[in-house]
Amino acid sequence: METQSTWQKIWTWIDLRGRREGGIGFILMRLTAIGLVVYLALHLTMISNLARGPEAWDSFIKLVKLPIFMVGDTLLIFGLVYHAINGIRVTVLGLGWGGDHQAALFWGAFVLSVLLTAVMVTAIVAIG
Amino acid sequence: MWIWQAITGALLIILLGVHMVTQHFIAPEGLRYYEDVVAYLSNPGVFALETAMLIVVVAHALMGVRSIILDLSISEQTDTWLKRGLTVLGVLLVAYGVFMTWQVVR
Amino acid sequence: MRTLKLRILRGSPTRRRYYQIFTVHLHDEANIIDGVAQVFGEQDHSLMFRHACHHASCGLCGARINGRERLMCITPIAEFPEGATVTLEPLRNLPWVGDLAVDVKPFLQKMDQMGLPYSRSDELAPGPEPGNRFEDCIECGLCMSACPVVSNLKYLGPAPLAALARVLEEPRDVDPTGACEIARGPHGVWRCHSAMECSEVCPSNVDPSRAIGWLRRRFITGK
Repeated sequence: METQSTWQKIWTWIDLRGRREGGIGFILMRLTAIGLVVYLALHLTMISNLARGPEAWDSFIKLVKLPIFMVGDTLLIFGLVYHAINGIRVTVLGLGWGGDHQAALFWGAFVLSVLLTAVMVTAIVAIG
Repeated sequence: MWIWQAITGALLIILLGVHMVTQHFIAPEGLRYYEDVVAYLSNPGVFALETAMLIVVVAHALMGVRSIILDLSISEQTDTWLKRGLTVLGVLLVAYGVFMTWQVVR
Repeated sequence: MRTLKLRILRGSPTRRRYYQIFTVHLHDEANIIDGVAQVFGEQDHSLMFRHACHHASCGLCGARINGRERLMCITPIAEFPEGATVTLEPLRNLPWVGDLAVDVKPFLQKMDQMGLPYSRSDELAPGPEPGNRFEDCIECGLCMSACPVVSNLKYLGPAPLAALARVLEEPRDVDPTGACEIARGPHGVWRCHSAMECSEVCPSNVDPSRAIGWLRRRFITGK
């Protein structure tokens, strides 16, 4: 009898085949969670630039103003906003409420995340 | 743990929201310059808010990490060590963050 | 009549895995199980699959049809265009025996732990004299396959937790204390991540995700 290896278990988390809204929501939630944990580690490391004084801070700011970091920032903001909004959805569903509308709630969360990301990125770019 | 994930998540929506809005839209120049950052963090209210947010975000993140690892069918012994390890890591991360912020503002 | 190509996962844990395509010709009203039975009867007698009632009551013929957990006996071939290729794979998260067959013992053991009698007086069949009817759950295992968390084999899973919810609603002769302790534990009700796939694939109106939420509210309020 075959049971699953660790990699097969991880594959189950991200295998999109046959998944509907709830399953896709779960996959996105897990991916954004992992991305945000990595970002948290980087962000805490960034504080050490502050402690090294103005020159270190200013050269760090120059680096993160590069266009590639703006792409990263956009993904970060989407990840954060989606994780938060879908987190509310998961909490409500997890208490047994709203199950009949879970697919619509997922689409609402996703669309709202995209819109809020667009607004925030536009605002950040406008400020410069 | 699920309940604490929900509670810390709800707190984070508020704390992170305040963090993002104040740092990017209220603070001068979006805190681009070193002096602005130091002045911002020197405010005791801001220091308290940032510390609170650090504690909540580290707790939420590490509980989430444990939740993901639990889905890999780990043994009870591994889970015990995982809980201890993540608790120590969490305390160290919060201490590091508070210490580094203190180094900047003093 | 309709022609379909059934692309079936073959092999076993000790033999090579591969997909084999069989062409079947069926009446328009047929279901996928009829195609699989035709393959077994006329083309390849070595094909392994589970089936019995052919009307969604035994729960044996669960499989992944184009990636989605369904009962083969109530999946009409009319859903697929003429000549389409339909991929059939075994259920996930249960030990694979071979081809489309899985070992459901680990799942049934979890159901036993929850202490479920198989009929309830509050689900009375309509009629001049009320009679018991069976629980909604046909123990097909589709929810266990669809759930992304059951890949952690220690997690109780949607069907056992839904079973516990029914036992708590109507205990009858069962003492649910032990089952509640298990459900409150590290691999019980709190491991669910609300992917909701269990309720989506259930062919029998069990709605395990609602049941898990109900259990959580009950445990939080200390009942």
